[in-house]
Amino acid sequence: MKLRKCLKHAFDMVVHSKLRSWLTILGIVIGVASVIAIMSIGSGMQEQMSSQLGQLGGDLLTLTAGASRGSRTFGMGGGDRFVFGGGGATAMEEEPVLDRSDVQALKSIPDLALIETEISGQVNVSYLGKAGKVSLTGVDPAVWFRITTLSIAEGRMLDSADQNVIVVGGRLSSQYFGKPLGINQMLTINGNVFRVVGVLDDQSTSIYMPISMAYQVLDDKSVGVYDKITLKVRDEEQLDATINKTENKLRMVRHVTEKTQDFSISSSKQMQQTRSEMMSSMNAFLVAIAAVSLIVGAVGIANTMFTSVLEKTKEIGIMKAVGARNKDIMLIFLLNAVLIGLVGGLLGIAFGIILSASLPALMGEVGMIRGGTLVTLDSIMLAISVSVIIGMLAGLIPAYQASKLRPVDALRYE
Amino acid sequence: MSLPARGLKVKNMASGRGRNQEVILKLGDVWKVYQMGEVKVPALRGVSVEIRRGDFVAIIGASGSGKSTMMNLIGCLDVPTKGSIFLKSKDISKMSESDLSSLRGKTIGFIFQQYNLIPSLSAFENVMLPLEFLEYDDSAAAKKAREILLLLGLGDKMSHRPTQLSGGQQQRVSIARSMVSDPEIILADEPTGALDSVTGKELMNILTKLWKEEGKTIIMVTHDLNLAKYAHTRIELKDGRIINVSQKPLAKILPG
Repeated sequence: MKLRKCLKHAFDMVVHSKLRSWLTILGIVIGVASVIAIMSIGSGMQEQMSSQLGQLGGDLLTLTAGASRGSRTFGMGGGDRFVFGGGGATAMEEEPVLDRSDVQALKSIPDLALIETEISGQVNVSYLGKAGKVSLTGVDPAVWFRITTLSIAEGRMLDSADQNVIVVGGRLSSQYFGKPLGINQMLTINGNVFRVVGVLDDQSTSIYMPISMAYQVLDDKSVGVYDKITLKVRDEEQLDATINKTENKLRMVRHVTEKTQDFSISSSKQMQQTRSEMMSSMNAFLVAIAAVSLIVGAVGIANTMFTSVLEKTKEIGIMKAVGARNKDIMLIFLLNAVLIGLVGGLLGIAFGIILSASLPALMGEVGMIRGGTLVTLDSIMLAISVSVIIGMLAGLIPAYQASKLRPVDALRYE
Repeated sequence: MSLPARGLKVKNMASGRGRNQEVILKLGDVWKVYQMGEVKVPALRGVSVEIRRGDFVAIIGASGSGKSTMMNLIGCLDVPTKGSIFLKSKDISKMSESDLSSLRGKTIGFIFQQYNLIPSLSAFENVMLPLEFLEYDDSAAAKKAREILLLLGLGDKMSHRPTQLSGGQQQRVSIARSMVSDPEIILADEPTGALDSVTGKELMNILTKLWKEEGKTIIMVTHDLNLAKYAHTRIELKDGRIINVSQKPLAKILPG
């Protein structure tokens, strides 16, 4: 029998056992839809992360005080291990800080191109009668504009000669106060008035000002103590080596060993890599769970096919009596299973897309899907091919069984 | 009802039917033994018979005589335990199942007691089926199926499902299906078994016409001696053996 005719008979079989076929199809639909939806979450995360990765310079290191949980992994430049939980900070009599002596030490390392010191905290702001609390970062105005990955949308960056001026985040400028806070407008921060000289090209509500002014505004900070030091590496290729050198130098200056290390250096590149590895393994785990439902769907197809072969035994006998060869019968049943898989796959993709589009609304601001969901062509192709292959595999044994029926037995079957 | 124009040509053949024609089917010492648990039950015990092209053969016998087994073997639906079966001088016991299916599709048309139509297909699609397996060209197949259904008076029932047809109509559809691939042999298993006497008679007339006008070899299995009257050759089976083969003078069956 020609393939086209086999397909027609296979299609007839699906149509003529509507309810059972649809129930079987439903099994595949659920499996495929959940795989698509979960893969879309994963793709969304990846997309969000890669856009972040672009923002964060790969040649930047962040130095903070206190033995953070990440220090060991990042410090050793491995990047392939990530220790969950466990603050790791040893009980210190005195809170470790970063100060001028550290900066001095860093300056002696030739592999570092730029050193920028920062402090940050929450401040009360008010503008045209509206008030709020936002985060403020005091930066080294001479270095900041050369090291930051932020870009300016309007006005200018901070300059080394600046005093009472600030650069504000895009959202603070456009929406936060109801009325736009533009260039040369005056903003009150903790009672002091500052002039806006630049608006950032982002969606933040942050404020940046020269660190000398920030010490005055943030009254819990003592001059000469930094919250964070950002370092720019001279040669990105030598990132790991530079981290090692920097760590050794700082241990010497701070009189600590590797075990008692009271500071941490993290590279944004490594951090992103680790995060993306973690997320992709988590994603794989979720997809594996979704795949279980696909396997259940496959068992459903096999079950339906076995029932179908039993039910159609007599018809198989008739077909053989009128000249059907084994491979004709095999093909008809196999195509029937593939059709169920294919229809299930297509509907599953449709439902999966709907599901992934409505996931953010259903789940709210869950961290995982903050970046939105993204159904990729890859996942669609994967879902289609998987559902067709599943249909084929599930139909293989029943179809073989059907084809091997002896016509005389099949005809006698009631 | 009149059968296709080929009838004329075939009529000449009818003069010497059965006797001088070549042997189309030959059974040589055929045994069929069924294994029923521990016991071996022989259904056929050394049956030898020759059936000639263009003959109308009735295989008769009581139930349990082995006639169904014989019909399955003749129809290539089963293989003998021992012995040989030659269909058109091919030994079917040595053929692969696929070759057997193809040979069956081309050479034998089946008419079953229970019609055995496929319920999900229309009358037309049922008749098309053998041609689909023979990979006929679509339009040629459709034309042929339509012609035969028209010929059998089912022109207005083509799109009906078997369940929407009466028994007689269903049996006519199954006759149409058996004829459509133009097989040399038509194998009928108790063809009137499920029909009332009037419809049964109509059906026998169709079979007789197929034999006389189309020159088909008809092999009919029945327990009904009244039906056997229509046949030229009668093979009587009892306990798996042929106990009698008789032939009616052709003049008695072929008027004129």
